[in-house]
Amino acid sequence: MTFGIYFIILWLRKQNVQISTAAIVLYRKQLCLSSKKSCFLVLAAISGDYYTKGNGLSDCKPHIFYEKGKRKRMSVNISKMRNIGISAHIDSGKTTLTERILFYCQKIHAIHEVKGKDGVGATMDSMDLERERGITIASASTNVTWKDTSINIIDTPGHVDFTIEVERALRVLDGAILVLCAVGGVQSQSITVDRQLKRYNVPRLAFVNKCDRVGSDPYKVSRQLREKLGLNSILMQIPIGLEDKMEGVVDLVAMKAIYFDSANAGEMKIKDIPANLADEAHKRREELLDAASMFSDELAESYLEGTVTEKQIMDAVRKGTLALQLVPVFMGSAYKNIGVQPLIDSVLHYLPAPHEVKNIALDLDHNEEPIEVKADNTLPPIVLAFKLEDGQYGQLTYIRIYQGKIEKGTEITNTRNKRRIRVGRLVRMHADNMEDITSAESGDIVALFGVDCHSGDTFTGGGLNYAMSSMFVPEPVISLAIKPKDKKSEDNMGKALNRFSKEDPTFQTYVDPESNETIIRGMGELHLDIYIERMRREYSVEIDTGAPQVAYREAITQRADFDYTHKKQTGGSGQYGRVAGFIEPNTEEDYTFHDEIKGGSIPREYIPSCDKGFKKCLAKGQLIGFPVVNTSVTIIDGNSHAVDSSDIAFQSAAVGAFKEAYRKAKPEVLEPIMKVVVECPNEFQGNVFSSINQRRGIIVSTTEDVSFSKVEADVPLSEMFGYSTILRSISQGKAEYTMEFHKYGRVPMSIQEELIKKYEQSKKSDK
Amino acid sequence: MVKNELIKKSPLRILEKSTHGGVGAGNIGVFTAREGVGKTACLVHIATDKLFQGKHIIHVSFAGKTDHIIAWYEDIFQELAIRLNLENTMEIHDEVIRNRVIMNFNQKGVSIEQVVKSLHSMIEQAEFAADCIIVDGFDFKYGKPEDLAVFRGFAAKLGIELWFSSSLKDHDLVFNADGVPEVLVPFLGEIAILIFLKPDKGEIRLELKKDHDHKLAEDLHLVLDPKILLIAGDDK
Repeated sequence: MTFGIYFIILWLRKQNVQISTAAIVLYRKQLCLSSKKSCFLVLAAISGDYYTKGNGLSDCKPHIFYEKGKRKRMSVNISKMRNIGISAHIDSGKTTLTERILFYCQKIHAIHEVKGKDGVGATMDSMDLERERGITIASASTNVTWKDTSINIIDTPGHVDFTIEVERALRVLDGAILVLCAVGGVQSQSITVDRQLKRYNVPRLAFVNKCDRVGSDPYKVSRQLREKLGLNSILMQIPIGLEDKMEGVVDLVAMKAIYFDSANAGEMKIKDIPANLADEAHKRREELLDAASMFSDELAESYLEGTVTEKQIMDAVRKGTLALQLVPVFMGSAYKNIGVQPLIDSVLHYLPAPHEVKNIALDLDHNEEPIEVKADNTLPPIVLAFKLEDGQYGQLTYIRIYQGKIEKGTEITNTRNKRRIRVGRLVRMHADNMEDITSAESGDIVALFGVDCHSGDTFTGGGLNYAMSSMFVPEPVISLAIKPKDKKSEDNMGKALNRFSKEDPTFQTYVDPESNETIIRGMGELHLDIYIERMRREYSVEIDTGAPQVAYREAITQRADFDYTHKKQTGGSGQYGRVAGFIEPNTEEDYTFHDEIKGGSIPREYIPSCDKGFKKCLAKGQLIGFPVVNTSVTIIDGNSHAVDSSDIAFQSAAVGAFKEAYRKAKPEVLEPIMKVVVECPNEFQGNVFSSINQRRGIIVSTTEDVSFSKVEADVPLSEMFGYSTILRSISQGKAEYTMEFHKYGRVPMSIQEELIKKYEQSKKSDK
Repeated sequence: MVKNELIKKSPLRILEKSTHGGVGAGNIGVFTAREGVGKTACLVHIATDKLFQGKHIIHVSFAGKTDHIIAWYEDIFQELAIRLNLENTMEIHDEVIRNRVIMNFNQKGVSIEQVVKSLHSMIEQAEFAADCIIVDGFDFKYGKPEDLAVFRGFAAKLGIELWFSSSLKDHDLVFNADGVPEVLVPFLGEIAILIFLKPDKGEIRLELKKDHDHKLAEDLHLVLDPKILLIAGDDK
């Protein structure tokens, strides 16, 4: 029987009939199916039916479904494409809304609630952690089609801490829906999310969700958008009833009432505006026209003449939204199936297509000079890998095509390591399900199988040497020793660390040869905490962690001479070498070596030995055992012995010479100084100032508007431990901060002495 | 040149001498000129001169972005360091950065009370003991004399010197009998020193229009070198 099915599949393939990959995978794996079921499966696949229920397949968990008609997708007109994110405060119903959007676009046939009783969970939440908390952390992309427009929904992380995830997701989207709770309104996290969107210049719509809840007030939320977020929000709809009486919305563009049949999957009925809302609707429409006419002279004229058309309003609102000067506000209740379809319509109407957004690549041949990329299929491809996922079938790489198009078999080059790859399997994603495709065009978001790359890598064709994100990777500034608690954790830890370091170049890992401990290194305490948490959650790795260690450096401050002779006679051939010269500070580079020996006082073959000996000393400074930087070594004289001089003798001489000179060169300890940016409501600015001051920080600048302050400061990393907790408590959780490595700076004398004392004590206790 | 010499030889000492000791704590000095003539350069030169003296400066801006202002300071610092062959440049540079903070406000949205409150926070909560506050980009047409009075009251209370810039558009180039731009006349009661930057035959001359309550001296003999944008003696 199995052979029979195999030949059927082969024959069908030859006939160009598209067969579910799942069918093949399941067939190949012989997954606990009777032959009869296998046969049914293949036939079902060929007929193109969905088979989610009642076919015995729930036991074998097929991950890939054939989707009827989707293979017929022809070249997509770029103006009929949207890449959007749905950003929100936790608990404002983002995941439910996403689920409903997917439902209405007929991608999935059953609606799951976030913490569904069916235990399945909403489709976009692909990580267990998210399911458990009911929040979304990792960004998955899913493609839907709505009224002949292809929409890629990038599920953006809502949590402030997940900076890299957030940045990656925000980079690839062209527009966003900002979801707000009709009861809670603009909460502190909505402020954060909105600021992230502002930072990346993402045009947005607002959706006031949960209008069915007690105490809901979409008018208040729209006002808060103005007052708290400084957005030029404008109501596009008004509610027909609120709380449990909500029946629908009045569309202020068409001036029609839209009723939703909550029980019947939100079926829409369009009617005239109810009499009791006529006045309110007219008043709000006037406000809408006032705001929109700022962006269109045509609309302004028609407004005066009383000949306004729907298209004029929509065009003007679109113009204002794309210019980031207007935020149209929609409303409803995703849970009750109210207002979702008009919201998806608004994505088409008011959010930009990929070619309407300016995207910049960095030219790696010209010092990362910014170059505008064009969403044009005829140009060589430029592709950004923005998310990696470990799947059952290998690494899945989510990509956004910024320029050109790619097809199966296209050769592209990873500009980070110049490795050429051939595009193999290309898929379009729906959370955990996927659809095989043969090509993808400019502006689209798809996924590649079996490509070995890091997140953030750029692939190009046509010899372009561009990167979509800077290739500059800062050195990690903090390290932490980690130890698996048991054997299982030990096995999985390797896998987890490997994946994380691929995802995030600033997260590094190595085994310390001295202590044999695994060390993870990153850009801050929080950064490492996130990965430790993810190890626990995603890989069930239980670990013990050591105290975080700041990556100090040592540097000399003045020139010092050395003249050192290494002499050793222990029977047999001895060791002899003399080196003389000086060490001096060098702010340009970490280490330089100059050979100024004249007359061959040190034979040429031993010069590299001297260099090696000096380098050895730099790995561990004498003050506190951290690497020595900014040092220049010059050798000017020396002596050798015909028999006793050797490579090792000159290395030892150099080590001795460096030790001799180092103390004289007045070394000092340097510490990483972070560029810290705190954003907070104005009333907490003073608290933020003093918190920075207490941490030996220097405030460089502040920027203040009506409600918000941004404080930029240089603060030593060693003082930043636990800052997120402190900041939360001094700002009622309303402030947030980011930090990145800025430079190495001198440690104050008192702290240097303490560090030296501690180092000496630890050396003693090691003995 | 060592730092102390540089301070002593600065042309700004001439300005202080000609204006009876300079603006002084609790007072307001103003540079006024047409747009793009060099008010910010003058303010940053004055600030850098004070930073060289180890004083603390808050630079309040209503117009520019902070990056742009930092670039101004860097340029003026480099120019002074190179021209005067300054020793220990790196160390002095570090000290200058430590003693300077830039506070940027959106004047239309932010009230003067809020600005002053934030300045208070900076001085008290961040323990930044400012000696001089530079206020660049304050819109005198939009602002009121009372706003300046609030600043002055604050400065007097804390013993801080204040320097403002006032930008003039073409149609603002209307002067009263004393040569004071009409826009600034309502503010004169709050201003101790007023200097007008006058482009004149390829150079920009610094003209003193008000010197506390003293009778005006003849000429400051100071120009703003248009190439390097530093205040210099006019060699006359």
